[in-house]
Amino acid sequence: MKHLRGRNRLGSALLILVSLACCTTTTIDEFRQGETGIESNESVVILGRRQASDYETRSEFVECVGEGMAQGENSISIVPEQEFIDAMFPWFEPRTAPLRTRDLERLMTEVVVADRMTEFGVRYIVWLDGFTETSDRSGSMSCVVSPGGAGCFGFGSWEDDANYDARVWDVNSLTNVGTISTDATGQSYLPAFVIPIPLIARVEANACSRLATQLKEFVNGS
Amino acid sequence: MRRKSGLMRGRVRTALILMAALYLTACGVSNVVIEGSFPTPNINKLPITIAVHYDAALREFAYIEYSETGTEEYNIASGQSHIELFGTLLPAMFDGVIVVASIEEAQALGVDAIFAPNIEEFQLALPAKTKLDVFEVWIKYNMRLMTAEGDYIADWVLTSYGKTPTESLRSAEAAINEAAVVALRDLASSFSLNFTEVPEVKDWLNTL
Repeated sequence: MKHLRGRNRLGSALLILVSLACCTTTTIDEFRQGETGIESNESVVILGRRQASDYETRSEFVECVGEGMAQGENSISIVPEQEFIDAMFPWFEPRTAPLRTRDLERLMTEVVVADRMTEFGVRYIVWLDGFTETSDRSGSMSCVVSPGGAGCFGFGSWEDDANYDARVWDVNSLTNVGTISTDATGQSYLPAFVIPIPLIARVEANACSRLATQLKEFVNGS
Repeated sequence: MRRKSGLMRGRVRTALILMAALYLTACGVSNVVIEGSFPTPNINKLPITIAVHYDAALREFAYIEYSETGTEEYNIASGQSHIELFGTLLPAMFDGVIVVASIEEAQALGVDAIFAPNIEEFQLALPAKTKLDVFEVWIKYNMRLMTAEGDYIADWVLTSYGKTPTESLRSAEAAINEAAVVALRDLASSFSLNFTEVPEVKDWLNTL
């Protein structure tokens, strides 16, 4: 009986840990500066900012947001990032990419750039800028391998914080039509009692899906 | 008993060989040959024909990164990737491009100009040393442009930079390659977009 009560306590503790690990807080902030809307023959290109010296927006995150926007109801045609950058070479490289809409206006006077943009049917350029940071690492774990078997014991935890900004440029009007910011945080745990049980908060994945949904609504003008 | 001792000796030998192999792997230099694909630039061609000469220093260029203890850590060969890059870049910039084995050979061809690129410096920054989550590559070039007779037209310095973030399932060699490819693309973009802005080149083009 006592044994069963002990097991229940352990199970409850694990359940609490799982529920805590599942908790990711995501905040979305939208700032609209102009009217939006997209035709079925138009597309959006999502590009990562890579000008900062100590970080760069990961292409996997850019791809994730693109996939999110291209799926479900009111899906939008997305031009793959690398395909667009290669086709536009050398105008969208880290050192040559337009930083302001004024630069885009100047860039569009280049016939080759304007032609390529028309070929892709790009109506909006979304600039993603940000990164996911891991902090507050704590705990320790030790693993033992012996002729009788192997096992790990201990506990580890850390916090992930994903912070991304998406600036939307309208290629038709050559203006910035809005900015969407996302901030997601979550705590992950790694308890180990013989076998390590990772209880990972899906911070970046949540930031990606929420940002993709919001961007889709924003671009569709709803 | 004798058989048991022979078995033990065999095991000790295997363990020693494994330890030696591990030791050699830990101390060996990692060779990285830069490989990547470079897109053709979307720029307006200049109506001139140039001869391009890659000297042995460029063709066989390799950079060695040393560890903090002074041992060779990475040997990065980027000569061939530079030639591949110029092979894509130059035909998009000029009407005619002829690769020559020597400056003398170029002089006999009657081209408008002779171009000779050179790598002056190569730097690598590893996350373990900089404590940043990025691999960085910085390259300094010396670009020379000469007349068909081998006389000076322009001689300018160009720098390129590339970085790539650290990723958990990617090797350091792959990350170095990625950062170097970004640096090579940076070279291609700044060279192609700024070529006509180099004052001496601008003056020379006006005389044609």
